[in-house]
Amino acid sequence: MKSYKTKRTVGNVIAYILLIIISIIWLFPFVGLVLQSFRSYATEYGGMVDYIIPHHFSLDNYTFLFSKADTNFLIWYKNTLTISAFVTVFQTLIVLCVSYALSRMRFKGRTFLMKFWLILGLFPGFLTMICLYFLLKMFGLTQAGAIPGLILVSVASCGMGYYVCKGYFDTIPKALDEAARIDGATRARIFLTMIIPMSKPIIIYTALVAFMGPWCDYVFASYVAFGHDTSYNVAVGMTRWVWTNDYQGYFTRFCAGGVLVAIPVTLLFMFLQKYYVEGVTGGAVKG
Amino acid sequence: MKKKLVSVLLTAAMGATLLAGCSGQQAQETVDTAKDAAESASQAVEEVKDAVDENVDYGSGEIKVWVADAVVDFTNEQIAKFQEAHPEFSGYTFNVEATGEGDAAGNMITDVTAGADVYVFAQDQIARLVTAGALEIVEDSNAEVVKAENDAGAVAAATVGNTLYAYPLTSDNGYFLYYDKSVVTDPSSLEQIVADCEAAGKNFYFEVNSGWYQTAFFFGTGAELTYETDDAGNFTTCNATYASDAGVVALREILELTQSKSFQNGSSVSNATNCAAIVDGTWDSEAAKEMFGDNYACAKLPSFEGSDGKTYQLSGFGGFKLLGVKPQEDDNKLAVCDALAAYLSSEEVQLARFEAVGWGPSNLNAQQSDAVKADEALSALADQLQYTIPQGQYPGDYWSLATSLGDSVISGEIKADATDDDLMAALSDFQATCESYAK
Amino acid sequence: MARSGGKKKKSGSSDFGKALGNIFKEIGVTFVEGDIKTKLSYIIMGLGPILRGQVLIGVLLLLMEVLFIWYMPAFGWQYLSKITTLGTVETQKVGRKTVYGDNSFLILLFGILSIFVILALIFMWYVNIRENRKEELLLKAGKKLPSNKEVFLSLFDKNFDKTLLALPVTGIFVFTVLPIVFMICIAFTNYDKNHQSPTNLFTWVGLENFKNLVSFSGAGIGPTFLLVLFWTLVWAFFATFTNYFLGMAVAMLINKKGIKFKKLWRTILVMTIAVPQFVSLLYVMKMFANDGLINGYLLKWGLIKNYIPFWTDPILARITVIVVNIWIGIPYMVLIATGLLMNIPEDLYESARIDGANAWQMFKSITLPYMLFVTGPFLLTQFTGNLNNFNVIYLLTQGKPQSVNLAEKAGNTDLLLTWLYKMTVNDTNYRMAAVIGIMVFIVTAIFALGVYNLLPSVRDEEGFQ
Repeated sequence: MKSYKTKRTVGNVIAYILLIIISIIWLFPFVGLVLQSFRSYATEYGGMVDYIIPHHFSLDNYTFLFSKADTNFLIWYKNTLTISAFVTVFQTLIVLCVSYALSRMRFKGRTFLMKFWLILGLFPGFLTMICLYFLLKMFGLTQAGAIPGLILVSVASCGMGYYVCKGYFDTIPKALDEAARIDGATRARIFLTMIIPMSKPIIIYTALVAFMGPWCDYVFASYVAFGHDTSYNVAVGMTRWVWTNDYQGYFTRFCAGGVLVAIPVTLLFMFLQKYYVEGVTGGAVKG
Repeated sequence: MKKKLVSVLLTAAMGATLLAGCSGQQAQETVDTAKDAAESASQAVEEVKDAVDENVDYGSGEIKVWVADAVVDFTNEQIAKFQEAHPEFSGYTFNVEATGEGDAAGNMITDVTAGADVYVFAQDQIARLVTAGALEIVEDSNAEVVKAENDAGAVAAATVGNTLYAYPLTSDNGYFLYYDKSVVTDPSSLEQIVADCEAAGKNFYFEVNSGWYQTAFFFGTGAELTYETDDAGNFTTCNATYASDAGVVALREILELTQSKSFQNGSSVSNATNCAAIVDGTWDSEAAKEMFGDNYACAKLPSFEGSDGKTYQLSGFGGFKLLGVKPQEDDNKLAVCDALAAYLSSEEVQLARFEAVGWGPSNLNAQQSDAVKADEALSALADQLQYTIPQGQYPGDYWSLATSLGDSVISGEIKADATDDDLMAALSDFQATCESYAK
Repeated sequence: MARSGGKKKKSGSSDFGKALGNIFKEIGVTFVEGDIKTKLSYIIMGLGPILRGQVLIGVLLLLMEVLFIWYMPAFGWQYLSKITTLGTVETQKVGRKTVYGDNSFLILLFGILSIFVILALIFMWYVNIRENRKEELLLKAGKKLPSNKEVFLSLFDKNFDKTLLALPVTGIFVFTVLPIVFMICIAFTNYDKNHQSPTNLFTWVGLENFKNLVSFSGAGIGPTFLLVLFWTLVWAFFATFTNYFLGMAVAMLINKKGIKFKKLWRTILVMTIAVPQFVSLLYVMKMFANDGLINGYLLKWGLIKNYIPFWTDPILARITVIVVNIWIGIPYMVLIATGLLMNIPEDLYESARIDGANAWQMFKSITLPYMLFVTGPFLLTQFTGNLNNFNVIYLLTQGKPQSVNLAEKAGNTDLLLTWLYKMTVNDTNYRMAAVIGIMVFIVTAIFALGVYNLLPSVRDEEGFQ
């Protein structure tokens, strides 16, 4: 019995060591990112360096990002927030509608629709960028109008991402619906007053995922907004600092921008983690 | 019919007046030519003259200008001056957007109609832009001025086939060596630079996987690669001698360089770490000064001792930044764009640009100014320029092919101990592919 | 679409023919047996319902017809009429002014749109006939037609699905279906950098692009395609399974009895999900550069003499992207697995322990089978997801290093998808990109349809509820 106990303690010590190592590996890039963002621009320039702890700490990079005369970063940030907010609201609504219809109602063409959407989802999206660009352009939603354009495109196609939400609805017993219908409630009433209040976790999950999307959208956003600096989102604006030669010494500024970009999403994530886990797990099990 | 004629003449005359802003004498000449040409249709000319005198209505519109972020403010200032000098264009608003020379071409080609009306691009993109219909031919009278006032290389760079498609803006798109005086003892020998860097445990940056920097070796040993184009931007002939003894010597030198532990592939000062020497261009001079501090120095590219025992001076491209005008569906707007492009590439503005951001002018008079001559980086470039060839037109595929060649060397796919025959085989493939781009 | 659907349709093709026959029969019968209102509805859609008091339905149908009649001459026809040639009028110069000719791109795009509009109208016309038939039969049987109010209210009850789905389906149609059909068509044209709208025209070239894809001689890209495809599959395999097993291992570590701060460990890992990838991956990319942090410190500490070419050596670059992907992917798996692992009944382990099983045996015979059973679908969707994992590859390497042995700018770490992206964005080589896109679709479809048919929720949907 004693040996079992010591064995267990040894096992736990090893586990702790492993976990600490893992934590260090996982946090290392973020610590680096934050440290570099505080590197003094004035004394150490903004280029890449091969050390992680800055010799001088300062807020130079953040002052730069907040100065309207030097950069449009704040506009990009605002753009991204705007896109995220609208996409979150509309995408959640649409996903809920689609999920409810597919989960609760039986209509002609239902399975066809589900299979068709599944197949559509397998086409690589980049292929259609040029086409979407010209479609949006027809409505004047490129360059200067890129923000509403990006919202429109994300929202228009989001119905296809109903899997997780529908899976959740499927687990709500149908008997509840039946009972309510016998009492004379309409479908719309059931949806609004019964299903939605019961679906808080999945609504939060859907909203969270929707909110995170636009922060990473580099590819399509750069395609739609090109040549119009004030329509960029943070991803488009900031990747230029890393990828093009026009921006010398912007590495630490990129890091500072990265920290600012990471803050809202990370905070939301920390608070809503529980729901996210629920959604992801549910999605994984149900497929 | 008469109306049409009038409008054609109107344009001609307009082009002439516009020029007044940049070069008085030239403009006078062109106005004269325009007058001569117009004499045959005297009545129309009367109208035109009247119109010109009374500041014709150029209509209104928006003109988008794309320049690199670093010169957005500068360009705005210059455009303000331009508007002051041309009250007749008051109907137009000018929007300057930060779209770098690298992105400009790609974005223009994605959607010409949404692209900028006047934009700066690196010369290697010109053929691609012409094929995609994103460049308007330079207006005749402007073309004469451009050809007369800019250095021959710059004019050649802006010419596709026999047609001038763009306004040269800078003549500084070449590369040379920035180095740390305290580390590099002899910047004229490649072997010494590498040895010094290795001894000091510092890095030597040379972007050998770029078709642009790579030519330093190939052209240095005497290998050739040039293309000829027709007026539409199609490549017609390729003159390549990479698959030769000279090419093998060059490739072997690249191979040897990449074997050094000090070698780093790259050409961006701000992305360089622990750097003692870097092959880079004038656009990085500020950053290089910042990085090297008191030990900042620059020089022409070094020479190296080839595998055949001979000494070769590194060569390379002398390149140019160009200003282009997009084809327009409206004569008036085109006239305004022409005038703006001519203005932004004029002698005064080139000089002002040099003073503001240090870009080396392509204008012959501006090049002779004392300030330009005194600039360290530009004089290093000037030293280097005598060994380089002016960069002509290259198909877009060449650049990526050269990157593949460079990557294969760096990654060891072409082995360090490869025999001359192996290298020759690789170069023959390379040359054959290069030749296949010209049809 | 047609390709993948074809297999399934084969068995149903006779059914389909029968259904089509029935439709024509119905149209005929309705006309012959119908009254004058119905007969007129064959020309003026919705007239019958309007005359019978079904104003809501009737006006809607009529509106469709009016819209169509307005749309075709005002907009659709100018494109549709040129779709066979994709335009013939070249761009011209008048003086210095540019007069653009036909725009092949818009002709194709709006031509396809017009075809869809026509199909939609034909469908609505059929709906119109059936509505007439239904109403007539109801009246004949002596029943009353539903009032307009009832029809309207049914949209929130019996026909609530139509209300819910109308907007999403339209959105998906315009912004997903139409572009995909368009790009499939592009694969049969010569739309590339030399045939760029609006200055130049492009036209149909048949199967030429597909021939180029499977051409293994000279400038053909066949060999490159196979190499890239091969790496795509290898990548997807490793990316999926390393994450799966390592993620499970970490989850078990966190779930281990006696380990405290479980939530803290999980939260640390979750950071990688929360921080946008363009930030974290670009930073990691710089970290592993030849002159980056990792090499810098290793050199400083004297652990290595030469820098490790993480991104420039083809093999090493491939390994590095897989390793970095572990960093990105494990947190998801940990999140999923921690919850699921707790569902395994503890007494299973207890009895195994009494039987003298060691940890590995318990994992092999209890944990793994359970996890594989529960997360099977997830594993397979992960696999198809990784086949198209753009962000990790593009933000880290952009497909580099390139090689003289690969055509069309493909790099050693390029997936089909990143290769396709570079073709469209850097090269505007849309014709080949479209072909590669179709190939990507086929490859993904093979795996994904496999998944779909394996999903218990699909096979036995009703049973699940």
